[in-house]
Amino acid sequence: MLSVTNISKTFGTVKALNNVSFDVHDGEIMGLIGQNGAGKSTTFHSILNFLSFDGQITWNGQPLSASDYDQIGYLPEERSLMPKLTITQQIVYLARLKNQPANVTKSKIASWMKRFAVKGQPNDRIKNLSKGNQQKVQLICTLIHDPQLIILDEPFSGLDPVNADLLKAAIIDAKKRGATIIFSSHDMSNVEEVCDSLVMLRNGQVVLNGTIDGVREQFGRTRLFLTTDWSADRLAALPGVIDVKPLGTERYQLRLADATAGEAIFDQVTAGHYIREFSQQPPTLDEIFRTEAGGPQHE
Amino acid sequence: MNKTWIVTTETYLRQIKSWSFLMLVLMPFLFIAFTFGISYFAVPDAAKSDVAIISSQTALRKSFIKSSDVATTSKYTTQKRAQQATKRGDINGYLVLATKGQRVTATYHGPDELSSGEQAKIQRFLTTAQAQLNLQRAQLTPNQTQALAVQPQFKQRLQKKTASDQIAKRVSFYIIVFFVYLILTTYSSITAQEIAAEKGTKIMEVIFSSTTPRKYFNGKVYGVLLVICTQLLVYLIGGIAVVQLAERSRLTADFWQQNVDVISQVLHNLLSINLLFALLAVLLYTIISAFCGALVTRVEDAGKAAQPVVYLNLLTFAVAFAFQSNPTSPFVTVFSYVPFFSSYLMPLRLINGNATMIEAVIALGLLIVTIIGSMLYIGRIYGGLMLQTDDLGLWGNFKRGLQLK
Repeated sequence: MLSVTNISKTFGTVKALNNVSFDVHDGEIMGLIGQNGAGKSTTFHSILNFLSFDGQITWNGQPLSASDYDQIGYLPEERSLMPKLTITQQIVYLARLKNQPANVTKSKIASWMKRFAVKGQPNDRIKNLSKGNQQKVQLICTLIHDPQLIILDEPFSGLDPVNADLLKAAIIDAKKRGATIIFSSHDMSNVEEVCDSLVMLRNGQVVLNGTIDGVREQFGRTRLFLTTDWSADRLAALPGVIDVKPLGTERYQLRLADATAGEAIFDQVTAGHYIREFSQQPPTLDEIFRTEAGGPQHE
Repeated sequence: MNKTWIVTTETYLRQIKSWSFLMLVLMPFLFIAFTFGISYFAVPDAAKSDVAIISSQTALRKSFIKSSDVATTSKYTTQKRAQQATKRGDINGYLVLATKGQRVTATYHGPDELSSGEQAKIQRFLTTAQAQLNLQRAQLTPNQTQALAVQPQFKQRLQKKTASDQIAKRVSFYIIVFFVYLILTTYSSITAQEIAAEKGTKIMEVIFSSTTPRKYFNGKVYGVLLVICTQLLVYLIGGIAVVQLAERSRLTADFWQQNVDVISQVLHNLLSINLLFALLAVLLYTIISAFCGALVTRVEDAGKAAQPVVYLNLLTFAVAFAFQSNPTSPFVTVFSYVPFFSSYLMPLRLINGNATMIEAVIALGLLIVTIIGSMLYIGRIYGGLMLQTDDLGLWGNFKRGLQLK
């Protein structure tokens, strides 16, 4: 288990992290979300000991140290490989630094390349690969030594939906073998789809922390999806409705001031009759991100 | 496997497999081979420079071939065959030896005049042969023969600082200074650029999630040191081969014999504690170059990274040259202990006999302490420097790097 307890980091006059705390358990995937500059990468760099910081970070109850490096798989935000090396040389070198023998790594390369559908041969030079394929090679470098703590900084950026699905499958496989996984992302659908929990940072502070469903429920079931022959104006006039957004023919999304208003709206709209759709939901992660990540001014 | 060693081997193998390293190592040998080649074509070939000796008196002919020092061939024994060989250009010409009326004669036949050296050698042989003939004719008693055999004696009593000694010192100085300058400039640039390029590709975050910056930094320095040792080893083996070749080759054998004292003194000056000064200087400059490489933030600035070290090397090189004829100057004495300068100035003093071995060991000790201190300090801040990617100028980058860790 990874425990981050009250960590703070200041650069000059800028407080990059302010008492950040969270836990990630074995076999759990945590999404670290927040706007650019919120402190996500600084959090990762602190976990990896790249930075000095106040507070404590432990891995399985012990301060994370160089002896734990072999168990870590890290994908930095800025993709980086050695352009003059071949795919095999690059993967073998980085895996050797994780204490995985060269022969073991070499025996795995073909299957990992197939798994991520890398277009190229093991002896191709990195500089001759497309950007997308270079990114896949870097993902292989991150995962090929079966790390127990996986830290991925914006892993989906630059990947098309097909390749994003391949990465999701790899992340879920790592979870199944008990790895602890943290990744940052700006795409809330990926977080919602893959993560068990999330932490949202704003200006270096934790503003949300919990399971995906738990965080969404915190905001109440204030989104109402409705299919009815009522007009938008008529729906907007109902008590407790903030606004109405048409979604299609006779289909609307109503934003409620309070979740409890739903019951009265149901009674009025149905009037005891069947209607095709009445679904009261908490806000999506995307909506929460838009309102919470930037602070009160975004609300 | 030890991660420092993994980085060391990776750095080493990547460097020695590169074309730039191959060219660097082979360049002096290519230069020597080129020089030899030019000399080979410029000087008439061995067979052509030979002179055939023709004589009806076998003893006289054999004696000439054996003792005259003239480049001869015994392949041709008749005047006709020697004439044909000369015509074909197989030999330079032929010399007909004879004894006519108690007079030893030698007649040279060839397209070109013999060199004055060859003529002198022939004249010397003829004088000796004629003297022996005269002695036989005179029928002297043994005492008279002995009295006539007395030769004058020529002796040289040379002072300690002879001209050859001065030449040896000067040659040693030039070789050491240029060798150290070249190797320092080369490796400073290679190291600074490689580190800067690595930083520019941002792969350091991946590497520092696998090993500590100190281990990585040490591994890089050891790798470059191994490369330098490989280069020195190649030079040593190649140098021995060149020496062997120069001793035996007819192109250089004469030169070698004439200058054997100077050459052995130069070799002695090179293969001594001076070599250790050179090696440690490269190590110190490599460490500082790695530091400079870590200060830039973009791959495009990799060339700039080496500049401070290259300029420092240029300065110390210029100082060494300025004081080459004044090695006893107090400035040289003081700065021969100062790391960076000591690698040029202490060898200068040693070559000129102005420094004792104890002084050299003290300078070496200071150099080693500086190297260890630099490695420890830069190893400590290396992580911060390499992960600092804001472009704030060299000084700003340095300060920001210190803030990270």
